[in-house]
Formats: sequence, C-alpha cells, structure tokens
Amino acid sequence: MATLLEVKELRTEFHTQDGVVHAVNGVSFTLDEGETLGLVGESGCGKSVSMLSVMRLIPMPPGKIVSGQVLFQGRDLLRVDDEEIRSVRGNKIAMVFQDPMTSLNPVLTINTQISEALELHQGMTKEQARKRSIELLQMVGIPEAERRVDDYPHQFSGGMRQRAMIAMALSCSPQLLIADEPTTALDVTIQAQIIDIVKRLKRELGMAVVWITHDLGVIAGIADRINVMYAGFIVESAHVKEIFANPLHPYTLGLLGSIPRLDAALKSKLTPIEGLPPDLIALPKGCPFYDRCHYRTERCENENPPLELGAVRHSVACWNWQDVRKLRKH
Amino acid sequence: MTRSLNRVMTWGVRPPWLQVARRIVRNPPALFGLVVVIGVVLVALLAPVLAPYPYDKQNLDAAAQPPSAAHWLGTDALGRDMFSRIIWGARSAVFVIVMVTLVGLALGVPLGAAAGYWGGWVDTLVMRLADVLFAFPGLLFVFFVAATIKPGIEAWARAMGWRDLAQSGYLSYGVVILSLGIVGWAGLARLVRAQVLTVKEREFVIAAHALGVPTGRVITRHILPNALAPIIIALSMGMGDIALSEGYLSFMGIGLQPPAPSWGNILAESAGRYWRAFPQMVWLVWIPGAILAAVVFAFNFLGDGLNEALNPEI
Amino acid sequence: MGTFILRRLLWLPVLLFFVSVITFALGLYGPGDPVQVMLGLHANPETVARIRQEYGLDEPFYVQYVNYVKNVLQGNFGYSLVRYRDQPVGRLIAEHLPVTVQLNLCAIVVGILIGVPLGLIAGLYRDRWIDLAVRAVVIASISLPIILLNPVLSFIFFREHIVFVPLLDRLVSIGPLLPQVAGRWEGVLSPKAILPVLIEATGVIAILTRQMRAGMIEVLSEDYIRTARAKGLRERVVIVRHAMRNALIPIVTLVGLMLGGLVAGSFLVESWFDVPGVGRIAYEALFARDYYVIMALTLLIALAYVLANLLVDLMYGFLDPRIRTMG
Repeated sequence: MATLLEVKELRTEFHTQDGVVHAVNGVSFTLDEGETLGLVGESGCGKSVSMLSVMRLIPMPPGKIVSGQVLFQGRDLLRVDDEEIRSVRGNKIAMVFQDPMTSLNPVLTINTQISEALELHQGMTKEQARKRSIELLQMVGIPEAERRVDDYPHQFSGGMRQRAMIAMALSCSPQLLIADEPTTALDVTIQAQIIDIVKRLKRELGMAVVWITHDLGVIAGIADRINVMYAGFIVESAHVKEIFANPLHPYTLGLLGSIPRLDAALKSKLTPIEGLPPDLIALPKGCPFYDRCHYRTERCENENPPLELGAVRHSVACWNWQDVRKLRKH
Repeated sequence: MTRSLNRVMTWGVRPPWLQVARRIVRNPPALFGLVVVIGVVLVALLAPVLAPYPYDKQNLDAAAQPPSAAHWLGTDALGRDMFSRIIWGARSAVFVIVMVTLVGLALGVPLGAAAGYWGGWVDTLVMRLADVLFAFPGLLFVFFVAATIKPGIEAWARAMGWRDLAQSGYLSYGVVILSLGIVGWAGLARLVRAQVLTVKEREFVIAAHALGVPTGRVITRHILPNALAPIIIALSMGMGDIALSEGYLSFMGIGLQPPAPSWGNILAESAGRYWRAFPQMVWLVWIPGAILAAVVFAFNFLGDGLNEALNPEI
Repeated sequence: MGTFILRRLLWLPVLLFFVSVITFALGLYGPGDPVQVMLGLHANPETVARIRQEYGLDEPFYVQYVNYVKNVLQGNFGYSLVRYRDQPVGRLIAEHLPVTVQLNLCAIVVGILIGVPLGLIAGLYRDRWIDLAVRAVVIASISLPIILLNPVLSFIFFREHIVFVPLLDRLVSIGPLLPQVAGRWEGVLSPKAILPVLIEATGVIAILTRQMRAGMIEVLSEDYIRTARAKGLRERVVIVRHAMRNALIPIVTLVGLMLGGLVAGSFLVESWFDVPGVGRIAYEALFARDYYVIMALTLLIALAYVLANLLVDLMYGFLDPRIRTMG
C-alpha cells in the first residue's frame, strides 16, 4: 500500500528554566494508508509530543521542533506555511485527545464545536453543518442526537464526550486519525466501546490511525504494527503479533510483564519495571534504558544502540537483543 | 495533558522555592521591588545609625533650606533635617506595614480557615461579617474608624496615667494599625476560605483524616501550607496598599501625628502649610512623594513578580 | 438558583441592619459633636442643650436608632446638621448622586475599553517586552499616591514660582491646554472631566488588565484550545471564539461588582477636582460628624453592594452554561 506518512529523524525539545528537555530524539517511522500504528510507552516518553510535532501543535515557546521531516502525502509538514498546515489539521489529519472532560470548550455547544471544522474545511453552511453534525453524532452512537447536538459539553457523560470528540475528528473524513490515549480517562466498559467505535469507523472510512497508549493490552486488538518508545527514542518496532510473540527489547519485555494476562498461570506475578526513566534534560550518553536493564553490558553504558533490523520486519535498538531472545526462553 | 506537560515544561524538576527565587531574580521589576523592599527594611532597622540628626530636632535658624552638604535633602519650615525625617519615616512605614499585616494575619487566617473548614454557621457568620466590612466604602471607612477610635485610645492612655504618651503622638501608631487591621482582615479571610475549600477535598487531606490526624493539625500541617502561595501574593500586594493608606491617613491628619515622622505627614506639611508660604521649596514635596510612590511601586512589583513566580500557569 | 436568590434577598435587610447599627454607633460615640460644630466652640450651653433636644440627640442610643429606622422606612432620611444645614438628606443625595454615578460610570467604561485589550495583549504575549511594559505601567499607575495630585497640579498652575519651568514649557507647550482640562466641574461631557475620569479609571484598568491577562494565560493552556487548533482554525478564531469567551466570564463578574461602587464617590478626586458628587459630601459629613448624611450614604453603598453581588450571581447564570443549565 502507498505510504501516507513518513517521519524522519524528528527531534523536539522544550526550553525550560532548568535546561533543555529532549522530548523526542530522532524518531523515524512510516505509516501506510489505512494502517493502524500503536505508539506505546510510559508517560513522558515522547509519544504524544512526537505526534503533536507532526501536527505542529507543540506550544512554541517553550517547545521547538529542532530537526527532521514529516512527509505527509509527499509534503513536508514542518516546512509548509501556517495557512497550509491549518488546511491539513482537522481536515486530512485529525486528533482525539486523552481527556474528554477538558478537551471540549465548556461555553460552546457540541454543534458549534463540530460544525466549525465542517464550515471551515468543507465550506458548508450553518444548516448543512448542523445536519452533518447530527449524522456524525448518530454514527458514533449518541442517542437522540438531534436533541443532544445543542447540548453543552457538561451535559454529556465522559464516554459521550469522547464519542463527540471522535465525531468531531472524523467530521471531515481525515486520512489519518491520531488518537492520543483516548480511553485512558474512561471506565473500562466505556473504553471497550470507544475502541470498538474507532475500529468500526476505521473499517468504514478506510483511514490510517496512530493510537498512542501506555497500555499494550489496549493496543493488541487494534494495531497492525507497534512502535515502542522510551525516553524519546523508538526502541522497538514490529508487527503486533511479532511484538507479543517475540519481543526483542528488554523494555518491551518489561512492558509485557506488567500487563495482566488471563492465560497466565495463577502463581506468576505481574512484574513491574523497576526504576525510573532517565532525566530528559541530562540524557545518558549510552542506552537510555541502561539503569533499569537486566541485560546491560559495558557497551550499553557508553554507546546508544541504533534502531536496527533484528528479525523480519522487526527493528530493535539494543546491543544485546540476541541475548534477550535466548535468555527469554528460560 | 497540556496542563501537566506545561507544568513539566515550565517548572522542571528542581525544588519550587529555588525556582521562585530564580524567577524573581530574572524578572527585572520584581527584582527592583525586592531590592527596594530590603533597602527600606534595612534603613528602618538602622535609622538611629543612618540619620545624621534627630527627626524632631528643630533649628529655626536653618529653616527652609534647600539641599546642602549639611542637610542633604534640605530642611523643612521648622528647620528639621529632611533626610533624617525621611529615614525615620521608613521606620514608621515598615512598623505600620508589619503590624497591620500581623493583625490581618491574626484575624484573617484563623477566621477564613475556620469558615472554609467547618462551613455551616461558622462560615455564615465569618463571611457575612466580611460582607459587612466590604459593604462599607473603602478608604473612607478606614478614615471613619480611625477618627472614631482615636479619642478612645487617647482617653484610655490618660486613664492609665500615661499623659505624656497620650500627648506624644505615638498613640497614633495604634490608631493607624488598628483601623487598617480591622478593615483589612476580611479580604484575607475570604482568600483563605476559598483556598481551604479547594484543598479540603483533596486526597491527601482525606487521607490525613482517615489516619486519625487531629483536626487542628490537619489544618495547620496539610491545608494551610497548600494555601500559602496565594496568601503570600496577597500579603505582598497588600503591603503596598498599607503603605499607601498610612500615607493617606497621615496626609489627612488622622494617621501618624507629628513629630512622629511619616512620609504621609511630611508630605501633608509640605504640600499643605509650607507649599503656599514657600512655593520654591519643591524638594519638600517631591522627595517624600517620590519615596512613598517608589515604596508602593516596589511592593506591588514584588507582589506581581511573586504572583508570576508562584503561579507558572496562573 | 431560585432559592439561592431568595436567600440573598433575605440576607439584604440583615446586612443593612448591621451596617446601620455599626455606622450609627461610630457616628454617635465618635469624637466631636455636630451641635458644637454647628454653633461654634463658644456656644451657650443652654442653646446646645436645646438644639440637642430639638434633634433628639439627647435620647439613648437605641431610641435614636429606632426613631431613625422608623423615619427611614417612611422615606425620611433626616436632615443635614452641619454643612448643608437643615437640608433633607434625601434631597442632598439626590442632587449629588447623579454626578458621582456619571463620573464612575465613565471611569468603568474607560477602564473596560483600556483594561481588557491591555490584558488581552499582555496575556497573548506573556513574558515578552510588551507584557512587561503593560504590567509595569499598570502597577505604576495604581501605586501613584493620588495625594501627590495636589502638589502636582499646584506645580502646574503656580509654575511661575519654579525656576525650571520655562524649559518644561519649551519642551511641551502645555500652557494653553491647561485651563481647558482643569478647573471647576462642568459635567461629565466637558474636557474638565478627562482628568478625574482617568484617575478614577486607573483602579478599574489595573483590576481588569490583571484579570484578563491571567484569564487568557489560563485559558490558553486549556486542552480545548489545543482541540480548536487541531481543527485547523485560524489563530484569530481560536483566540476570539474559544479563548476570549472563557476569559471574559470573570471580567463580567468584576465589572458587575464594580457597579456596586457606582454610588460611592472618591472623596479625594471629588475634592480636588471640585466635583459636586457624594464623595465630597461624605468626606465633609465625616469630619463634621453629620450623622444622618453619613448614615444615608453608608446604607446606600451597602445596598448597592448587595444588589451588585446579586446581579453578578444572576449574570453568571447567563454567561456560563455550566451554571445556567443546572436549573
């Protein structure tokens, strides 16, 4: 399939009073049309910042996209003018955010908030946009959409707000949907509903999705491919089944160990990853996972491993991935 | 996420007090405010050492002199050295500011905390009392209170047999402090109450309760420290207001009474009586006026800087 | 909402009661004696006693208070004892109040027109030089002691005494302008209202600028602003439709509360600019112990305060859908 998005060597920094926070440190990946990519990692690992950089939604200052390319349908979004990036946002690339409670404007009706993108990008009139808003709300499963479209966000429950956010994001039929932990703030039953909605609409509309999450369990059922991020680096990238069956990076191993599994023996305990991610202001010169790694060697302390092919369509950034694979068997 | 992201981006990871200090130092107006405030406090403390003459020593032979080597800021119509009076005026100002702030804290913090913490009739009583004070017209009310309690305090001093004190003018400090304090606590009480209300429901307070920490300790150890930043901001901004109000009171003749030195009464004497008689004595007006204005600026700049420093997101 | 308003309305007479008792007591037990002021220090004690009796000033506190309240309920606010001798207080206030209200209203309007845009700009360009400049100017303007006004104006008017004025005059030719903007009050539309209005407006500007700036900074960091930007909206639309609307809610509240201050005149400004408003009456009454004038003005201000608070609560309902739809 054709490549939709290609990110090359993206670097984003935040200039704070304490120093420069290196949030994204040379991230590269590609995304095909209609593909679903899971972006996984702990909070603060740069997964949200990298996708916000793609849309140029990083607050600047203090943020700064230092270098890299974001090729979307062949155009480098980091180098187009403001007018052009605005015509992409909400139109070709849309985003759903983590907290539906704070991501909707409290003083504007749901109708206003969905309609404004339609009026802007599709040139609809107010009446057309309203009609379309109602259809969109029906599509994401809001009952009595015709009446509820004039409600204010606070009259919606959390799950309904996230549905409204999805309706808003999908209003202009984007080619790419970025979902930034859209289920994290919701109850488990609602989470499943939201995931189902996105899966269904993705099938119907044929868009590509980047799903950002810290929870490998959530992503397993949706993603085609998974990128694992750590301290602003992609440390492992593979097909979803490959990641679960054959993880090569010690960090991915740790993440897998920390999700509960129904098929695991009762006595096997969940094993959290010990320690904390490194200070992004003073990154170590070697592997960023060095401090927490059970497989570390001397080389890891001094040289940061590049992302290299470890198996078929499976890249990993670890000097010792072969040892990891061997030792994991035991 | 933006909010937490912003916090990390602007706060970083260092201890907050160090951050606040850095933010003040990097904000030129706030730094100016801090330097002036520290300077005024030092001058106030060292007034007896710094002042070349006693503040009340009259020398009619050297009256109404322009600035000279002997009298750096000239002399007033009674021949008192202006420089010395200004220096002692700093002491008056600092003393009044500190005392009024203490009165405000002593009344406002416990009342506001009690109102926010217990709610119910305590809340109603305290907040309605504050409402009554707010319903009075600002500075005019302070004047009113000052003019009313003044004879009472003087009569009390005489009754205690302190005739000299009653006539000396020093009692006027008590009048100024009491009237500003009585009127000023209500704002602080409201602020503390609002803070307590927001902090009260937070997990760590509930946890402290659940662990059986006594109520008084929960308030002083868990709730008030979290309400500290807005209290500090309000106090530092309030100090400028106190200095200004003291100036106004003394200017209107119901504040500090001469010979007790105050920038306000120096200004009143200069601008009122002497101005017409000696219109060429501009320094008598500009110097105390400029100093009063500068000190009020300084407190307000500092308050504004603290506001920025303590509230990175506002 | 309904019970809330009802509670506020029930609270009104209680508040007025407390304010009136406190004022009455301060007035009665304070220093000075209006009769003495009226008749001079060397008045015949018999005359003093007669006049005291005539005005009921020899009665005990509660009798005087009850009589006063009875009269007020019948629309009689008593008579001025001193300066505006024997004029009914009601008429006195009715004459002077419109001037103060006009002056304050102008000050509030000017304050909004200057303060809100200043705060908006400062908030949008936070920590840039323009933000620092706005903050510095605003703080400086509220810190300037208005008691300096008198000497400053004298300096301008009696400037022939001052040696370096010719230089100043050469730099800026302010001479011909002065009689235009200074002097006796000629109504709120004359150029002579410019200075008092501007001075009264500085407080309004300071409060609104500060709130607008803080509000914009807070709102701009909200998640829904990022949502709006992610839709591809122009920055102007994001600011006007999404940010300003939220940031203006507290501004409207503050302006509502300021309306409560409409009836309180600033005595300093009114005295120095010779504005015949209630602030000056209040000031004169205060130092002459003119009870009934003080009482009436205080009650008026307290009433306005409570009504303004009520107005604000009602406005909140219209402005903020979160409150409006709670019913």
